[in-house]
Amino acid sequence: MTATRGGASPAGPKGQPAQRPGALGFLTDTTLCIGCKACEVACKQWNGLPMDNIGWTGNSYDNTGDLGATTWRHVTFVERIADQAGRRPATLQPFQSNWLMMSDICKHCAHAGCMEACPTGAIVRTEFESVVIQQDVCNGCGYCLPACPFGVPEISDTDGKAHKCTLCYDRLTDGLEPACAKACPTDSIQFGRIDDLGERATERVASLRERGVEGAHVYGDQDVGGSGGIGGLNAFFVLTAPPEVYNLPRRPELPQRKSVRGYLATAGAAVIFGAAAFFSLRER
Amino acid sequence: MAWARRALAGAASGGPAGGPAGSVGEGLSGGYQRRWETRGEGRRGRGRSVADQSRTSYYGIAPIHKPPWKWLVITYFYLGGIAGGSYALASIAELTRVPAYGSITRAGRYISLAALAPTPLLLILDLGRPQRFHHMLRVFKLRSPMSVGTWTLTIFGGLCSLSALIQAAQDGVLGRRSGPARLLVTLPSRWVGLLGIVPAFFLAGYTGVLLAATAVPLWTKSYLLMGPLFLASALSNATAAIALALALARGTSHRTLARLERLDSVFLLAEAGLLLAARAHLGGVIARPLREGRVGGMHRFGVLGLGLGLPLALQLVSQRYNRSQMGGGGTSRLATALASLLVLGGGFLFRYVIVMAGRQSADDPQATFELTKGS
Ligand code: SF4
Repeated sequence: MTATRGGASPAGPKGQPAQRPGALGFLTDTTLCIGCKACEVACKQWNGLPMDNIGWTGNSYDNTGDLGATTWRHVTFVERIADQAGRRPATLQPFQSNWLMMSDICKHCAHAGCMEACPTGAIVRTEFESVVIQQDVCNGCGYCLPACPFGVPEISDTDGKAHKCTLCYDRLTDGLEPACAKACPTDSIQFGRIDDLGERATERVASLRERGVEGAHVYGDQDVGGSGGIGGLNAFFVLTAPPEVYNLPRRPELPQRKSVRGYLATAGAAVIFGAAAFFSLRER
Repeated sequence: MAWARRALAGAASGGPAGGPAGSVGEGLSGGYQRRWETRGEGRRGRGRSVADQSRTSYYGIAPIHKPPWKWLVITYFYLGGIAGGSYALASIAELTRVPAYGSITRAGRYISLAALAPTPLLLILDLGRPQRFHHMLRVFKLRSPMSVGTWTLTIFGGLCSLSALIQAAQDGVLGRRSGPARLLVTLPSRWVGLLGIVPAFFLAGYTGVLLAATAVPLWTKSYLLMGPLFLASALSNATAAIALALALARGTSHRTLARLERLDSVFLLAEAGLLLAARAHLGGVIARPLREGRVGGMHRFGVLGLGLGLPLALQLVSQRYNRSQMGGGGTSRLATALASLLVLGGGFLFRYVIVMAGRQSADDPQATFELTKGS
């Protein structure tokens, strides 16, 4: 830990994951994922989350659907059979053939849209730099749902409050790693300090590229994934295809960057409309 | 109530924490509606195969979440706009010091309070946990429009009630002799009105900023236009509400009505201009819900046609008529009332369309990818 920067300003040169002293998070290396969903199960078990769907979605092996109030880890399955105008790709890449799997999760953004939107202060940043919704404060207003650039929090149908991944806050305080990372049999999910993980991600991308996976890149630095004022993600990914393939936005923005400019534009309009009303009424 | 309903649904599907569901059928029908089960809701999703959808997105599953807001919030946006707008107009009319405009001020103050009164209830009922509504007042966050809006609503509630009470005292509604009435008439109504004009304008316009400060493509892409657009709409609705009240009341001078009508035309023109500008700026992919399907039709015929175009035309005609026969009577009064009703209906529809179109654009992966594709 070398940097002495204040906790609020995310750091890291462009292209690097945000370096926040002491921040803990995940590196999810999708090239190692085998789609076993052990992370999903471990998460549900540890956090006591109910099942939310028995049935088939028809979306490859993904019968979970997406992240939500009762699903805090979600493994995506992308069968790239539709490449090249509907034909199967002729050449396979060295890893995962053309079947991509990724375990998605709350990104615990350095500047979190959900947290800035929350009007009750229920969403807080913990001492581990993770973002947690305090269940005894949340009143279910629903503003964090559209405020998250990644579609993570959701209002539960059973208790009316917003829920999402807590980075296993209870386990962290007891010195344990989060349940999903613990359960992952291939170490696709790696837990640790952000600066270590960032280095590891960069190395991994370099080595993958060397071995012919040209599309390998980090998702979650300030260039891709943690862009637009988000300041990097504390849960980032090594991907081998464009982010959209995994249902991730390429260059998301922190929505609240727009608040103050929006107020100012509205105030300007108010002055103009007010003056228009005054003069148009007063005129004889 | 919504919360209670959801709790019941939850009980039917086996309770909240880890309990096994009674049966699969129960679990699925008991209130759970996951996105992939409903993705054909919009016109676009229907009839597309998984292979089709996976070519352009992740099986058509939305990458972002839409808010759960529906009727309660739409109605709040509408009434809050009218409350803020008519208060502002009442104060401005008072500032002009034209004695004839006393009627505008009076109507504006009463309408403002009447529109404001149900809004807290609407907002509270929309919460997942209505009993915890006061948690909104734990913190103040400038960058969260919902937080600033809640505080503004609280402050404005006080000022709006005070102004309406002063007005009532001046009108003698509270009795001439009673102590409170005598105290209230001594208060400087104009200054209270001037103070309240700031939260009033904010309340009328911030809802646009609240929607813009999200990841929903249709709301956030033109974020600079959203506040002014909602403000213009709120002011046109408020002007229409006051004009309607005065047109129905006896003894309103013809000139006052004509002035109000002209002002309404100005606001309507501004609203139409901002709406069209925002739509053009959104671009083809993101503005799709405004063009297609039921909401698109409501946007075109309801908002642009019946809510903006027709009242503007009516007002134009009646203004012509006024000019040709000064002091003409009933016909133009009727036209004013009719135009006002159309504007008021269009204002509600405008909020319905924007909220629903935003929800559809949140469900459309292409819209989000278009918004976030970067340079
Ligand atoms: S990914 Fe979404 S829910 Fe998670 S911290 Fe960021 S904004 Fe909040």
